[in-house]
Amino acid sequence: MTELLGIYNYWIYIILMMIGFYGVIAKKNLVKQAIALGLFQTGIFLFYISMAVVDDGTAPIWTTVGDGAMKALGPYDNPLPHVLILTAIVVSVSVLAVALAIIINIQWAYGTVEYDEITELEREEGDADA
Amino acid sequence: MSEVLLVDSVLLFLVTVCAVAIIEVRSLYAVAMLSSVYSLLMALVWTNMHSMDVAFTEAAVGGGISTILLIGTLVHTRRDERPAKRRLHIPALVVTLLTGAALIYGTFDMPRFGDPNATIHHYRVPEMMSQTVAAASGREGKQQPPEGYDPPPRMTPTAAQWAGAVHAIDQAEDALEKAQQNAPGEAHHGGEGEHHEGAHKHPVDDFNGHVPNSVTSLLAAYRGFDTMFETTVIFTAGMALIMLLRRRREEGEDDFSQKGAALSGQVILRVMTKMFIPFILVFGFYVITHGEIGPGGGFQGGVILATAFILYALLYGRNALYRIIRPRTLEILAACGVLLYAGVGVACMLLGGNFLDYAALNTASPGDGEAMGMTLVEYGVGITVCTVMIIIFNQLAEEPSKAKAS
Repeated sequence: MTELLGIYNYWIYIILMMIGFYGVIAKKNLVKQAIALGLFQTGIFLFYISMAVVDDGTAPIWTTVGDGAMKALGPYDNPLPHVLILTAIVVSVSVLAVALAIIINIQWAYGTVEYDEITELEREEGDADA
Repeated sequence: MSEVLLVDSVLLFLVTVCAVAIIEVRSLYAVAMLSSVYSLLMALVWTNMHSMDVAFTEAAVGGGISTILLIGTLVHTRRDERPAKRRLHIPALVVTLLTGAALIYGTFDMPRFGDPNATIHHYRVPEMMSQTVAAASGREGKQQPPEGYDPPPRMTPTAAQWAGAVHAIDQAEDALEKAQQNAPGEAHHGGEGEHHEGAHKHPVDDFNGHVPNSVTSLLAAYRGFDTMFETTVIFTAGMALIMLLRRRREEGEDDFSQKGAALSGQVILRVMTKMFIPFILVFGFYVITHGEIGPGGGFQGGVILATAFILYALLYGRNALYRIIRPRTLEILAACGVLLYAGVGVACMLLGGNFLDYAALNTASPGDGEAMGMTLVEYGVGITVCTVMIIIFNQLAEEPSKAKAS
């Protein structure tokens, strides 16, 4: 039981990632695909943060003693994955914003954001040209 | 089983349910709200794993800004997903199940959750924090680990060892205080307390300045270059949005006055928002400025500042926002944030250090120099993040009617 709980977090990260992956492949709506891509990303974030955890650890914020010197209060989680994910979250919102802007442009051009409808419109245009 | 794991399993179950709902629900407005719920749950998961800065960012970005962006997009596009012919996409299911199975097979080789002996923890944090640009150039300063500091092979000792070490340090500090009282001016800090038999205690030394939040310390010093370019990525995203959606703005440049806000009739909302905005702004500045001391920093604070402006625009209309801050000013400020970050680096070079070697800012007290440099850099990040978020919101929230006309 303890063995399984020890890798429970890693399983959830895989499940989240695969839900996002399924959404990206299976869903035809482009907005939905952008959200599914976000789910995929949070799965990876969960993987990183899970690795940083240490038994009985606290937040990696130290305390100052005496004349400004610092020390840790006890075992603490590894801050490096936190740093990586902190910036990754902000970059992910930038990615989402650019994706949504492109989706809006597609909406103007085709009047729809459903992937298969767009392909159909493209095919019709191709037929009209020919 | 620890409390962390207990809360963790419950929260992660909820997160998974939420993720399935996001994929399966067809109303896209519902999906936008669900993704906000998902982000807030994720923020709780991060808090549970003691990752305060990430939780802060997730709550502000995922719970706040992303939802607004999604709803801003749904105004332009269809609100419902078209129903699929078949409920389940069989090829996708097969691919994901196979990939998932392969990855789960891989997890059996992963170290246990919270294992202090995992490979990732072998590299001790004080060593990373001492590896700033100045240390690489071999310059003397507080970046150097103290004399006689012997890196132990493992990061985390057992709880019993910690108790011993903390006790030893308390004793050493008491002794030090007595020594200082006896001979004022001569006693200096650090070195005495850290060596206790069997215990690996981080040395009592401020070799990365007065920056107690090691996340910020790593963000701005150890990974200073990365953070600078992450800020550039955000700046680039803002510019990309302006270029992608610029078409309408040129046509309607002088049309701001015609755009009324849908919510302007809501008296209670308007009055309450007006009362809230100053507090949001103060909180945003607090989060940026206290980034080195507690959880927070430029990314989180910038997003919080942006929400104040976005809230104002939602209630009073974007023309009201443009009266306060013109689009051109926003674009210039976004560039200024990146410039401030890079400028701090150049200032360090002019003062005789390396690029982003903050200790050069205050040679008399390198620790203060580090803290000052990091605060300046955080402000650079904060300005860029704040203005780019407002730019993104403004671009996405353009009137849809005008789009069809173009």
